[in-house]
This record gives sequence, structure tokens and C-alpha cells, in this order.
Amino acid sequence: MAEVVFDQASRIYTPGAKPAVDKLDLTVTDGELVVLVGPSGSGKSTALRMLAGLEPIDAGSVRIDGRDVVDVPSKDRDIAMVFQSYALYPAKTVRDNMAFPLKMRGMGKAEQSKRVADAAELLGLTEYLDRKPKALSGGQRQRVAMGRAIVREPRVFLMDEPLSNLDAKMRVQTRSQIASLQNRLEVSTVYVTHDQVEAMTMGDRVAVLRDGQLQQYATPSELYDHPVNAFVAGFIGSPAMNLLDLRRSGDGVTLGGTEVPLSRAVRDAAGSAETVTVGVRPEDLSLDAEGVGSGIKAVVDVVEELGSESYLYAHMAEDESTTLVVRGPGRTTVRYGDTIALRVNPDAVHSFDASSGERLPG
Amino acid sequence: MRRAPLLPALVFTIVVTQIPFLLTIYYSLQSWNLVRPGSQHFVWFENYVSVFADSQFRGVALNTIIMTLGSVIIAVILGLLLALLLNRHFIGRGVVRTLLVTPFLITPVAAALLWKTTLLDPTYGLINFVLGGQTIDWVSEYPLASVMAALVWQWTPFMMLLLLAGLQSMPGDQVEAARVDGAGAWAIFTELTLPHLRRFLELGIVLGAIYLVNTFDAVYMITQGGPGTASANLPFYIYQRAFLGFDIGQSAAMGVVVVVLTIIVATFALRLVFRSFGAAGSES
Ligand SMILES: Nc1ncnc2c1ncn2[C@@H]1O[C@H](COP(=O)(O)OP(=O)(O)OP(=O)(O)O)[C@@H](O)[C@H]1O
Ligand SMILES: [Mg+2]
Repeated sequence: MAEVVFDQASRIYTPGAKPAVDKLDLTVTDGELVVLVGPSGSGKSTALRMLAGLEPIDAGSVRIDGRDVVDVPSKDRDIAMVFQSYALYPAKTVRDNMAFPLKMRGMGKAEQSKRVADAAELLGLTEYLDRKPKALSGGQRQRVAMGRAIVREPRVFLMDEPLSNLDAKMRVQTRSQIASLQNRLEVSTVYVTHDQVEAMTMGDRVAVLRDGQLQQYATPSELYDHPVNAFVAGFIGSPAMNLLDLRRSGDGVTLGGTEVPLSRAVRDAAGSAETVTVGVRPEDLSLDAEGVGSGIKAVVDVVEELGSESYLYAHMAEDESTTLVVRGPGRTTVRYGDTIALRVNPDAVHSFDASSGERLPG
Repeated sequence: MRRAPLLPALVFTIVVTQIPFLLTIYYSLQSWNLVRPGSQHFVWFENYVSVFADSQFRGVALNTIIMTLGSVIIAVILGLLLALLLNRHFIGRGVVRTLLVTPFLITPVAAALLWKTTLLDPTYGLINFVLGGQTIDWVSEYPLASVMAALVWQWTPFMMLLLLAGLQSMPGDQVEAARVDGAGAWAIFTELTLPHLRRFLELGIVLGAIYLVNTFDAVYMITQGGPGTASANLPFYIYQRAFLGFDIGQSAAMGVVVVVLTIIVATFALRLVFRSFGAAGSES
């Protein structure tokens, strides 16, 4: 139960170099699950390790429940962490692994074994309690790592890509287990992943990082519907949003010979700029039922059929270098090489400044 | 047939190890003193009986055990402390490491001589000098300890290197996990570091013991086994019997006893080490 605040927190590994985490401002409210997401090297792990006390905080501060922890060693921060490698203690049994944080805090033997038994029950580990970690499967090890974190009822959970060593199916399963466990325990959690699907499905709020800088911190739907810049727009969503630099014309921009209208506010915000970065999600492009007559003409390069839906990867008929992804129906008749006509849902167009990438208001 | 090229090596090994051993067994069944030519005759196991009845032999055997295990254990403890030190980052670590390793690179005879004359000598030894001009005759007052000091000095670097390798192979994330789990430095050492180092410690003790049980140079150079047999170990005692007492039969019997005992102990010890390394191998 705790509130975590990053206040202009920075980490500079090598003096003079670019900070790995640059003036991060982030508040995790009590019981919230916050996901840090971003591409590789964006500073997610570093930010988490700063909170864990495994990395010094070079500037700014980090507070847990109002207490500045900059000079507090890890062991006194009352946090629990799940590592990507799980970091189980190989010489100890599952039981002793899970009891270790309790033992370190001087808890009585009886209370220790009760808590371990409860956690093992919850995670389905009861029958493995006397095994050593090397005799467990990857998924079981992952659960032991989770168990070691939850037995202690810490103030904050930290998880650094805890699912990345699992296969796709286990990942989906464990993802929802972790989310529901966190809901039940109501412990504030900071969860690091590079997988935006994990971020969107698990997080109460999601913080998008890039090069150590916080891009946007909002709920998943807010991130999806109102990305603050072209980077977030392109990072969140799968397949990624189509981002195109388009020339202004009339009351909008031209795309494949047709005009995509922009709202008055966007046009005003864009001012005299000649081009605008326009973002359209694959599901906001529709195949024009009237056939090739009207709409944006594109030639299909790849058809991905997923059963319930399909994705068409196409390039513009008149401009090879502009490519688009379109979501189509589950049973599509479109094939490689076909020319299709597309229609843009004008209400779902995102506009960004072509040079800075910032969202144009409106 | 594929192994045929190994044959010369095998033959050579048999010639230089097994034939002398068989000869030794043959000698051990003879009464044969070089000082009395023509006295050689077959006596069955009489030599073995007198070996076990010889109270000096038992005392020397005890010396051997104290010298071997004592030196190895002290060297392991010192090596562990130095390895823990060298596992930290500090300025000049490379130089310190090199200096700490040098005792291991010195010829045993030279090392023993160094201890006897430069360090332990009653009048101009450095140890007495450091102690403020004392005139303690270390070698005659504490003969066994003097020999062990030289052995420990030589073997600490080996243990240190072995344990340093062990420390450096320790996964950093486990230590981080322990820190987050609330462990302080001492708890990390006892709960994680020592279990991780266990097999390195076992290996160090076994290798050190196998090597040190054969110590001859240090005893020969520093104390000559004296006073009396106070600091003699089995190899030195056998040498004394054979080449100073010229009793070939007796010393051959002792040699056989020692070899058999060593083989038994070494087999168990090595099995222990290979078991723990084998188990560790399947872990990762
Ligand atoms: N120990 C270190 N010394 C110097 N630079 C480091 C160190 N650890 C990380 N960095 C740098 O800091 C930046 C952020 O690293 P970090 O590990 O936080 O990235 P990440 O977002 O977790 O990436 P990934 O998804 O690949 O795990 C990277 O540019 C990395 O090169
Ligand atoms: Mg990382």
C-alpha cells in the first residue's frame, strides 16, 4: 500500500553522457498497476532499478509514501522485485526461496511457513515446495519468483519483464493472472515491459518512455485515442498506426489523390506548415464497397489472415514508397497484387506537427 | 584400434609408475638393510607389523595429518578473505592481485629457504625484527608451525585464485534479489556466497590436501623433521629411514602403507568433488 513518486529523477551512468533516465516525473497512486513501456534502451529497467535502490539516483528524488528514499538502501525500502531472469537462489528449495525475504526480516518460523504455504497454494506451487529451482520448468520458476515477491506483502511490487522467458501462450495466461493477483492484493505495482500489448492489457496507467524521457503517462485508452506525439502514436497499437507526412491542400491534406479533411482547430494549429503528419489506425481505414471507382487506390503487398480479422499491407497506387496497413474482415477475398480502394474515417484522424511530432490540438 | 596411438604413452606410464610400485611391494617383504650386505632375505609381513608397532611412525602420521589439513584449511580461509577483497573494485587492484599471486610461483625449495633464513632466523629474521628485536628461535621452538607457515604462504594464492574465480562466477542478479529481499552484507555472504562457493572450497581443499600430503621440500629445508621427529611428516620420515637409516625393507613397507591410505582418502575426496561439480553442471 503506497504511493510512489518519481520527482525529476535522473540517472547518468557515465558522467557527461546522455542520462539513461532523464528528469522522470511519475506518480503511482495507492494500489495502482503502472506499466513502463518503451523500446529497448529507453531506460525502463533503469527507472525501475532506481526505485528498487539497485541504481543510484543522480538527480531529483524518488519518494515512497512521502519518504525520500534516495539514501535508503534496498533492504529498507520495503519493496519486492521480480527479475527477468527470476534470480532464484539455486542452492535453496522453493520453500526456502519463498521464505527468504521473511527470514531476512526476522519473522517467526511458524508465521513464515504459514505465509509460504498460502502463497504456494495461491500460485499452485504446493507440490514443488521441496524442489530446487533447477528441477522446475520456466513457468514454475516464474511463479516461484512471484511467490517470493508476494509472501512479504511489501508496499510496492517491481517487475522487470517477468514474462519475457515464457512461451506465447503462457505469457497471455500469466499476464492476466498477474493482473488479477495485483488487483486482489491491492499493492502498488510498477511493471516494466517492451511489449505494448502487455502494457495495454495490464496497466491501470501506462508510461511511455523514449531515450530516458517520459513521453506520455495516461490510461491505455487515452494513449490509444489521444497519443501526445507521433512516437507514442506509432508505438502503441498493433499493427502500428499509419503515419504519413502529407501535403496540405484546401481544408485538409491529400492522400492518394483524395482529400482527407482536417478540423478547423488542427488547421489553425498547423499554421502555414506545408506538410502535416497524419496518423490513421488500420481499423480506421475501410475498404470502399463501391470498388475501385472512388477512394484512395492502393496495391496489396501482403495479406495476413488471423481468422477473426485480416491485415492488408499495401502501397499507394501512385507512390510506391508510401505504405499502409488496413484492417479487413476475417474472410477477405483480397489477394496479393489486387488494387483496392480505401476510405478514411475522418473522425479518427490524428494530426501531428511534421517537424516536432507533437500532436496538433483539435 | 583407434586408441592404438595412445599405447606408447600407456606403456611409458606403466613403466615409470607401476613397475616401481611393484618393486616397492617386493622390497617391503624383504628384510634388507644396506649397511649389512648379504642380509637380504624374505620375511613376509614382518616389516608391516613393525611399521604399525612403531610409535614414531604413528606420531609422524599424526604430524602429517595436522600439517596437511591445518595448512590447507588456514590457506583456504586466508584465500577466501583475500578473494573477497579482490572481488571489490579499488584502485590498484591489478597490482595487488599480481603481488598476492607471486608466492605460488616461487619454487618450493626457495620459498622454504626464504622462510627459514629471511623470516624465521633467530638473530636476523624479519619476524623477530618486526616484533621489536626478539630472539625467538621459531624453527626449534615451533617446528611444525614454522613449516606450516611456509606451506600456508605458498598455498594461499592458489586458494585465493580458485575462490576468486568462484566469486566472479556468481550471478549478480541473485545478489540484487537478496538485497531487495532485505539481506544485508553478512546475510548475503552466508546465505548465497558460501553455498555458491561450496564446490570451489571442496575442490581447493581436496587438491591442496592431495598435494600437501607429499610435502618434502619444506620439511627438509626448514627443520629436517626435527627436533627429533617433531616436525617430520611421512614422506620425510620414509626418506630418513631409507637414505639415512638404509633400511630398505622398512621404508618400502611404510611407503606402501602411505600410498594405500592416500589412494583411499583421495578417491573419496575426489568423488565428493566430482559429485558436487556434476550436480552443478546440470543446474544451468
Ligand atoms: N550499467 C550501465 N552502464 C552504462 N550504461 C548503461 C548501463 N545500464 C544501462 N545503460 C544504458 O542506459 C540506457 C537504458 O538502459 P535500460 O537497461 O534501462 O533500458 P531498457 O529500457 O530496460 O531496455 P530493454 O528493453 O532492452 O531492457 C541504455 O542506453 C543503456 O545502454
Ligand atoms: Mg530492461
